[in-house]
Amino acid sequence: MKRLLLLLLVLLLGWIVYERENLWAFPDIISAYTAKEYCSCRYVMNNDAEYCRGYVKQWLPTSQFSDDPARKTITVSGMGRSNSAQWQSERQGCRLNP
Amino acid sequence: MFKGLTLLLLLISATIQAEPWPGEQWPSGSPISNVEALENYAFPPRDDTTRKGIRTDALLIIRDGQIIYERYAGPTNAQTPHLTWSISKSLMAAVLGVAYGEGLFKLEDPVAKFYPPLAKHPQIKIADLLHWASGLDWQEDYEYAPLKSSVVAMLYTRGHRDMAAYTADHDSYAPPGQAFRYSSGDSNLLAAALKNIVGPQRYPDYPWTALFEPLGIRHAVWETDATGTFVASSYAYLTARDLARVGLLMARDGRWNDRQLLPKEWLAFNLTPFAGYKAHQDEAVPGGQWWLNRAADGAASPWPDAPLDTFAALGHWGQAMYVIPSEKLLIVRYGDDRDGSYRHNELLKRVMQAVRP
Repeated sequence: MKRLLLLLLVLLLGWIVYERENLWAFPDIISAYTAKEYCSCRYVMNNDAEYCRGYVKQWLPTSQFSDDPARKTITVSGMGRSNSAQWQSERQGCRLNP
Repeated sequence: MFKGLTLLLLLISATIQAEPWPGEQWPSGSPISNVEALENYAFPPRDDTTRKGIRTDALLIIRDGQIIYERYAGPTNAQTPHLTWSISKSLMAAVLGVAYGEGLFKLEDPVAKFYPPLAKHPQIKIADLLHWASGLDWQEDYEYAPLKSSVVAMLYTRGHRDMAAYTADHDSYAPPGQAFRYSSGDSNLLAAALKNIVGPQRYPDYPWTALFEPLGIRHAVWETDATGTFVASSYAYLTARDLARVGLLMARDGRWNDRQLLPKEWLAFNLTPFAGYKAHQDEAVPGGQWWLNRAADGAASPWPDAPLDTFAALGHWGQAMYVIPSEKLLIVRYGDDRDGSYRHNELLKRVMQAVRP
């Protein structure tokens, strides 16, 4: 029984090491997705704010959301990470901040 | 007498050449009236709270260069530059086609010639990327495998600063040009290659100068990554009417009024099924960044109720533009389908029924 648990632990650690890049990046998805697609929904497609909140809603919640209309900048937090997206120009629309 | 004859000849030639083209606006044709079955399918009661079911944002039908049906729903209207998602890939193919017509590259050119970071995969040719056959080990899943999804990582996490470089970093799983695997990364490598194909000075305006402006498209948006490379996989925005202009260009063999904007051999490549495609690998048969309703690899054509010459640009959440040259028909359908219940064949079937006299 102990050996089995040890084996499972080794396998789990191996998987974590193998997938470390993907695992590290994973928590950014929700805030980055929400910031970018809300920015484009609101400032490229020119939909209203309420519609765009529904448009970007995912099964994982976000903890903080702010839209600065003067700078057309969206900042979103979720899963312990924060990301922001900003409108660039008429032709280039929105982009995630690097 | 002589004057009268000249006038008559002029009138006859004008009738023969009467081929409607959009100017600032699209001309209108006789509207179709038999739309009930079509609307029952495309516009059921809309639920923006649960986001369930078919949610069409725009449906535009054009026959012989004239609008015969147009309806919008949800927040979308005729002025909305709607996100096209992967229709962007077919648009980038059209942009590349103009550069091809300038003689700036060949289909058999190695991509690394124009995009040096791909030097670790020197065998990949432009044609292979157009076929989504780079052989790079790419995972396209969006929602169902977020941890392993290359496309989610490219757009939102590890890849978003430089999407082409992120793609080029992938290992290969097959020799280039052999096997089809749908890849947004392949499309963004094309966008990165275009930078040196046309030169960095022309690049930021090239989609506009090469394609949008000649077609009279006034409000196109194409987002870039932080290196300025167009997100050819996903992020072009056009109104339904403007997207249809690209459809008309394709339907009329790459010609816009009197100008051959896309070389005919470029279109022929776009619309030829990729030989390495295996039956049922995807929802339609890939050509060169366009989707074809063709029998392939022993399987019947994917949309049995549509003519065999139907081809399409398709995007996530139900974005579609279908072109049916034999019927002089073109259909733009924007949507926000989140549950995958929308079926191309069903819409095409009902459009075909609605336009029959």
